[in-house]
Amino acid sequence: MMYKDKLDRILLKVQKPSRYIGGELNSIEKDPEKVKMRFAFCFPDTYDIGMSHLGMKILYSLINEVPEYWCERVFMPLPDMEEQMRANDILLYGLESLEPIKNADIIGFTLQYELSFSNILAMLDLAGLPVYAKDRKDLTPIVCAGGPCCCNAEPIADFVDICILGEGEEVNIELMRLLEQCKAEGASKHEFLVRASKIEGIYVPSLYDVQYNEDSTIKSITPLDGAPAKVKKRIIPDFDKVYYPATFVVPFSEIVHDRAVVEVLRGCIRGCRFCQAGYFYRPFREKSVDTIYKETVSVCETTGYDEVSLTSLSTSDHSEIERMLACLADYSDAARVNLSLPSMRIDRFSEELLNRIKSVRKSGLTFAPEAGTQRLRDVINKNITEENIMNGCRIAFEGGYTAVKLYFMLGLPTETMEDIEGIAELCQRIIDLYYSLDNRPKGKGIKISVSLSTFIPKPFTPFQFEPQPTEDVIKERQKHLMEVINVKKVQVSRSHFDVTHLEAALARGDRRLSAVIYSAWKKGCKLDGWTEYYQYDKWMEAFRECGIDPSFYVNRKREYDEILPWDHMDLLITKDFFIRENKRAHESQTTPNCRERCSGCGVSACTGRPCF
Amino acid sequence: MGNTVTKNIRVFFSKTGRAIYISHLDLYRLFQRAIKRAKLPIWETEGFNPHVYITFALPLALGTAGICESLDTKLTEDISTEELIKRFNDALPRDIRVTAAAEQVRKPTDIALSEYEAEFDCDDEAFDAFLASEHILAEKKTKRGIAELDLKQHLDVLERRKGYLRFTFPSGSVFNINAGLLFDAFEKLSGTEIYSLHITRTKIKCSDGEIFR
Repeated sequence: MMYKDKLDRILLKVQKPSRYIGGELNSIEKDPEKVKMRFAFCFPDTYDIGMSHLGMKILYSLINEVPEYWCERVFMPLPDMEEQMRANDILLYGLESLEPIKNADIIGFTLQYELSFSNILAMLDLAGLPVYAKDRKDLTPIVCAGGPCCCNAEPIADFVDICILGEGEEVNIELMRLLEQCKAEGASKHEFLVRASKIEGIYVPSLYDVQYNEDSTIKSITPLDGAPAKVKKRIIPDFDKVYYPATFVVPFSEIVHDRAVVEVLRGCIRGCRFCQAGYFYRPFREKSVDTIYKETVSVCETTGYDEVSLTSLSTSDHSEIERMLACLADYSDAARVNLSLPSMRIDRFSEELLNRIKSVRKSGLTFAPEAGTQRLRDVINKNITEENIMNGCRIAFEGGYTAVKLYFMLGLPTETMEDIEGIAELCQRIIDLYYSLDNRPKGKGIKISVSLSTFIPKPFTPFQFEPQPTEDVIKERQKHLMEVINVKKVQVSRSHFDVTHLEAALARGDRRLSAVIYSAWKKGCKLDGWTEYYQYDKWMEAFRECGIDPSFYVNRKREYDEILPWDHMDLLITKDFFIRENKRAHESQTTPNCRERCSGCGVSACTGRPCF
Repeated sequence: MGNTVTKNIRVFFSKTGRAIYISHLDLYRLFQRAIKRAKLPIWETEGFNPHVYITFALPLALGTAGICESLDTKLTEDISTEELIKRFNDALPRDIRVTAAAEQVRKPTDIALSEYEAEFDCDDEAFDAFLASEHILAEKKTKRGIAELDLKQHLDVLERRKGYLRFTFPSGSVFNINAGLLFDAFEKLSGTEIYSLHITRTKIKCSDGEIFR
């Protein structure tokens, strides 16, 4: 606790100090003398956001189950805290030990969104470590990264030593065992990295040589020192038996998602063509109702939370959703715990489900049609009809709701102004539906909130080949929508072009972007996910100085035979499948969900068994 | 478990170490959750959004430790003091400990003074001079804005030695002075720095000089 006294001097000068001191219920403190390996689990954003993240809770508890390993939590301080830390020579520390993380054996970042990349540099620097992997010569600390962004970690290839591809529940411990062994043997960092690269799911960026063509596309990606040509994603085959924490750390202050969370299934059967998570987390695996029940009770009872949220990419796709909800309702009613059900599909929405949600809180309902016309919904394979949407809204209105929130994406492949107008028309038809219902809530008007994000083509999706429309096109379409939606009952919020643009560049970037990220960070870019700290002009300056045009990554169509920066990652889904799906998209052909018919993405060939 | 009050009680607790940074609002939620975890028979308010009934006698300033803090609540079942304390402590974070539970003797509105012990590292001569000065002006945040206040008028020094001060300040719902203000004022007026500072509220007293219990 070497920083305790120093922190006592500064914490009253910063906002919400309790997030910088640890000591929360269920946080785990071990005797440093008795632990062999220390893991600093870094969430590259603030405490309030990171503490809401389920993956961190799982891996934190999992590592700490090993008596001789100690996992601590580390978050990005806000500028007021960073200023105090720098002024008082406090290096980035773990919340459990209050000791600097530079002495940890592994510093692990979880990468949930591209806009957190600059925070990795900021946190390494605040930890007193060189940001470039090549400048960290010692065996420890090893800096690794995991999470969905690792399916294309190339933009941060220069900064991290190791990426973990896929689910970390098993591989994290394997990696720690190897590092423990290498420490004992006095191995060099390079020896360790070469040996680590042999573990399935481990990607060592420095063991790959990337060559480029004259037109800047990739010519070749060559593995070195026996590293595998393709790094295979790790998955947990028996998801019902997967480790789940018996309890969560309960923060002192309110965080973004301040509730118990139980993961009911992993993967998604739907195959929406824009959705990276839908492919990254394949195959679809669910927990049994019994397991979900036990985990719900355990987390609720040990945290004292009065709300539990069932989480997954699409909770209503659980094969036993009705039985599961009935079973959980028995517990939640008796224990006075609210059950919340995000991620429900509109076509699976029933009166029964509505009543479940209603018993919690009668706020608005959110649906995601994503596109305004059936043609475009078919292109993206959303597999939702207008009838589904109208039916969902009708059930909601008849159940007493007066507000619906609708998510749409702008800039999708093949989109025309007609699709934009389709959003306005759909809203109008929902309004008409509302007023046509005799049993609508009496004396109340309807409110529709349209949330309009901009489509970002992501790696490992059928749309990975697609360009994002240029700034002019995006702004023109946004403007057009505002013109055609001119009723007061519909409120539109749009994403900012500036933010979308950078995210699109980073998402499909190659390792040449490491130089841009470094330069942007040097210019003061960090906390890019926060509107108040985001500096788009500095980022563009960084691109210019590095001689890199972001439109090469953002607005360019890739040919099917182009070597993509992430082609040496194997997500168990073949590139042929993505090409096939891309072609079908351009023919407005839908693909049935996995439960209806296997579309041959390649996952079942890898796991050696059918998904259903 | 019915929701009928059988007994009003006052639960005493300490808030030290890392827990001193828990704000008053967060402390309220923390105890609510602890009661839920501990499955304690605490009365719940009746109404649209029922919640366990707890009320704190005297808020403690952020950053100050306390060893005689208390909350008032209502029980719906008889439970032994030992059992109550044990179940609370099993469900609370380490740096918040329930120390006792008893009948409510005095009303929270009787509270008039808090006694503090401060351990600190600074220029002690400068601090003595500071204590000896005729006025100690400080700024106090109030609902209406910032008011200037002469701390000297309200300060009662009980014990002073190198790096240590035991003193009282007014406390209560009517007029309350945050102990930290004294040390902020010292830094500001003397132009010197305090390198480490730990303040603990050790006693809460009523206007008649009796200990609040």
